[in-house]
Amino acid sequence: MRTHQSSERQVKNMPNERREIAVDYLARVEGEGAMYLKIDGEEVTDLQFNIFEPPRFYEAFLRGRYFAEAPDITARICGICPVAYQTSAVNAMENAAGMFIGGQIRELRRLLYFGEWIESHTLHVYMLHAPDFLGYPSAIEMAADLPDAVTNALRLKKLGNSIMTIVGGREIHPVNVRVGGFYRSPTRRELQSLVEELEWSLETAEATVSLVAGFDFPDFEMDYEFVALHHPDEYAITDGRIISSSGLDIDPTQWPEYFEETHVEWSNALHANIIGGGSYYVGPMARFALNGDQLSPRAKAAAAGVGLVPGESNPFKSIIVRAVEIVHACEESLAIINGYEPPDPSFVDVEPRSVVGHGASEAPRGLLYHRYEVDEAGLIADAQIVPPTSQNQRSIEEDLRQFVKGRTHLDDETLQWQLEQAIRNYDPCISCATHFLDLTVERVQDA
Amino acid sequence: MKRLLIGIGNPDRGDDAAGWEVAGLVTSWDVSRLTAGSLSLIDLWQVDDEVVIVDAMKSGAPVGTVVRIDAIAQGLPRGAFSSTHAFGPAAVVELARTMGRLPRSLMVYGIEAAHMEHGAAMSREVVASVSAVARELQDA
Repeated sequence: MRTHQSSERQVKNMPNERREIAVDYLARVEGEGAMYLKIDGEEVTDLQFNIFEPPRFYEAFLRGRYFAEAPDITARICGICPVAYQTSAVNAMENAAGMFIGGQIRELRRLLYFGEWIESHTLHVYMLHAPDFLGYPSAIEMAADLPDAVTNALRLKKLGNSIMTIVGGREIHPVNVRVGGFYRSPTRRELQSLVEELEWSLETAEATVSLVAGFDFPDFEMDYEFVALHHPDEYAITDGRIISSSGLDIDPTQWPEYFEETHVEWSNALHANIIGGGSYYVGPMARFALNGDQLSPRAKAAAAGVGLVPGESNPFKSIIVRAVEIVHACEESLAIINGYEPPDPSFVDVEPRSVVGHGASEAPRGLLYHRYEVDEAGLIADAQIVPPTSQNQRSIEEDLRQFVKGRTHLDDETLQWQLEQAIRNYDPCISCATHFLDLTVERVQDA
Repeated sequence: MKRLLIGIGNPDRGDDAAGWEVAGLVTSWDVSRLTAGSLSLIDLWQVDDEVVIVDAMKSGAPVGTVVRIDAIAQGLPRGAFSSTHAFGPAAVVELARTMGRLPRSLMVYGIEAAHMEHGAAMSREVVASVSAVARELQDA
């Protein structure tokens, strides 16, 4: 294997050195974006994380559509995390109708969502982020040296696809989800067909935790405001209250009172802030920090086994947290399947009311909030969708600004590599956020 | 051993629907359609299969231009067959090559796209090329 980090080249650190690093098209992220960084000596004087994928205007597109169409329309926003969009949408519509749906329908929703976590996390851990740590330009070159690891990754990801196919009707943009439940309940036998592969996946996921925990991590800590859903009885995924590391504890219906979206000229994606409180961090690190004691037993043991404790604030270690969450997803999926009773009927009738509904769930990349205003005919009058990558944009920029300090001696190539790696800590889904990467680091020498 | 036609694209993004549309017209092959998450591509074929992939491309050629690439004999130009999802079809084919998981034969048809905006219709030139490629594959 290549060791990019060990071959770091240093450039002479000149007191008045200014430089720019520009990445016009960020690789190994979902969607199209860029980064521009201007460095003056040790200070970053300009930094722009630019999401330039065109805005998708989904919120406008939803206006005038029947409320029951929201899960199918919003699933089209992303091919990697459609279940997240569907779940937040159905939560919001059921909230608008004054309903909460539990029981086996909720368990099926959790299982479907775990399929998406397994698929999305495996893709990111092995195929997108591991090459950074191991010094490969991409997973293709990594596969030549580590074929077994990539073979395992493909098999693990396929399991996620299989869960989505059996529960969701197909692996991309599932069609079996509806407001109130599912169009069809999968049979016990269909779910039992997943058990053998889940048992293999659980062990493989545990080995993945050990593998990625052995990577070299830059010495870097940040003081984040973590935000995630919290559920009293489980590691929240499909629903819960919104909590934070500084003590916020609100119902998703209160999101607009505590969070705001603002536009910056260099990005097509809105930035989200805590009103009066600045940036915050959503995603696996936030979930682990706030809910880590609720992980499944083997996930908890896997984390403890590699010395990972809730509150970890080195964002590069998010790759370990993702691996731990794969363990959790596999173990919980097995528990759901073992206790499964097909819900009959497979859905609850939901009647629209003229009201505003709010819904949130934990997408692979973090909290996903939806708000819909529905009129008396059941038509959507207004919609707001706040994806996790939008919420993390300010944290990404703050990470980059801090990360450069003490590393300005590195040559442009090495610095750019490490900065891109820092962006990938967030597994940014730019396709989602625009509804939004290219990296520029500029160093200018004084004449 | 099967003959498998895989249409890649997004039916909601203008000319990006080209691969899907061809897959919908051809009845003489087993057919699969993929939207995003192209990594699944590698799971669709076995090493003894005969596979054709049809995808929209952006190469700078005139809109509607059809290119045919024997992906067993040569690598795919990554820039032309890109994806908003990090592992595009060209990357998956190269991953399969590295891992010894390419099918027995793999032809990639690219149809030059003009635009891929959400909600747009296909360009007239792409519609014509979709029909021509479908006829060619139907009779193959």
